[in-house]
Amino acid sequence: MRFSTARAEVTHRPRRGGVLLASVLVLCVLALSAQAPARGQRGSVLQSWMLTAAAPLARAVTTVSRAISGTSSSIADNFTARSDIVRLRRDLQKREEELFRLRAEVQQMRSEIGLRAAAPFLPVVVGSGPVLLLERRAGLHSALIGIGSSSGVGPGSPLAVPEGLVGRVVTAGRTLSRAQLLLDASAAAGARIVRTGELGIVRGDGRGALRLNHIPTTSRVRPGDLVESAGIDGIYPRGIAIGRVASVSRGGNLFLDVLLVPTAPFSRLTDVLVLAPFPAREPGEGTSASR
Amino acid sequence: MKLGRIALLLVGATALEFLFGGTKYRGVWPVDWLLVATAIVARSGGFGRAVLTGAAAGFVEDALTETLLGLNAFGKAAIGYLLAFVSVRVVLGGALAVGGVIALCSLANDAIVAVLRSLLLGSPVVLGAPEALWRAVATGTTAGLFEAAWSFQWREWRERRRQGRLR
Repeated sequence: MRFSTARAEVTHRPRRGGVLLASVLVLCVLALSAQAPARGQRGSVLQSWMLTAAAPLARAVTTVSRAISGTSSSIADNFTARSDIVRLRRDLQKREEELFRLRAEVQQMRSEIGLRAAAPFLPVVVGSGPVLLLERRAGLHSALIGIGSSSGVGPGSPLAVPEGLVGRVVTAGRTLSRAQLLLDASAAAGARIVRTGELGIVRGDGRGALRLNHIPTTSRVRPGDLVESAGIDGIYPRGIAIGRVASVSRGGNLFLDVLLVPTAPFSRLTDVLVLAPFPAREPGEGTSASR
Repeated sequence: MKLGRIALLLVGATALEFLFGGTKYRGVWPVDWLLVATAIVARSGGFGRAVLTGAAAGFVEDALTETLLGLNAFGKAAIGYLLAFVSVRVVLGGALAVGGVIALCSLANDAIVAVLRSLLLGSPVVLGAPEALWRAVATGTTAGLFEAAWSFQWREWRERRRQGRLR
């Protein structure tokens, strides 16, 4: 935009532009007002259609993008391959020893506490999809996922990566879905401190961190404690890591101010696992994770 | 600017959003390509087209990532008008000035969306987050580079190089 020379080539119609601007803004306000009662719990049918329509472009461009970044990564990886092989062999040996020990432990635990009783609460993976777009704007943290209703994904399906919980699907198109991440300023999840067993609510602060609320000042929580989903919110299954306690301070009221660092690498997400809605719901039933 | 070119520009900006958004390096240089597209249209000084392009770009963004349709459309339409106004009324030149204006517009877009989200959804107003500042820097710098490339005298430069080779 070369402002100094733009003057010459311009048609001076600011008044007409102003009227148009006012009309567009009024239309936007009307559209927003019409959707506001839904309070963002679920995307509109129009949004679902638009996601479906955008799918071919998104997939084509992402394929190219991934091919380029994949090629550059593989070239860089070749240089470090040899030392990696030695390291991996060492790791494998260590892990085999650990696996042997864990198998023995699991066998013992199964017989002792009856793992079968807890089986219905274990998360069921519906599928996995690539993260096509990640938006972080003014407290909003959302993602566009390359998996949709054709693969059994519906609004409310939780998303996770091996490191921890990521968020939930809000709008599902046929092959694309829009998800609300846990970091979103409007997202919340029931959580449990693994060491102490205390329950609280994890909320995104919109700036890339999580806060654990409703932990009483009498709690023994300390930095480094792992926090996982508690399965009490009717959306997220229990036992999935959410974050580690970064700091604990006394808030202004009866509760502690607990700041968490998420375990999932939100800024470097490439693929996510889609879990079955928890608890299993009838189609058409609503969700309530948004504030 | 012709309508066909504006449509092409919007498709290109959306494709660029996906091209960079699909990789794990998306946070390295997070340019708001749809804002850059709006600024390019506003550069020609047409108020109507700048407003409509901003609204269309924002609508695309809303459809892909927002909870409500119209939040970014509102913000980008207003920014399109503002940029067209600046390009017509203010004598301001150079890549640095243009980059600065676009960076401010990126922050203004965030502020408008945050206020609307707060009013309509009751979400907390989150402003001045590090990632928003970094996006403003990336978007402003990219727009400044486009401006520098646009205003550079390529023909004279090529001619000088050709003459240098002949000597």
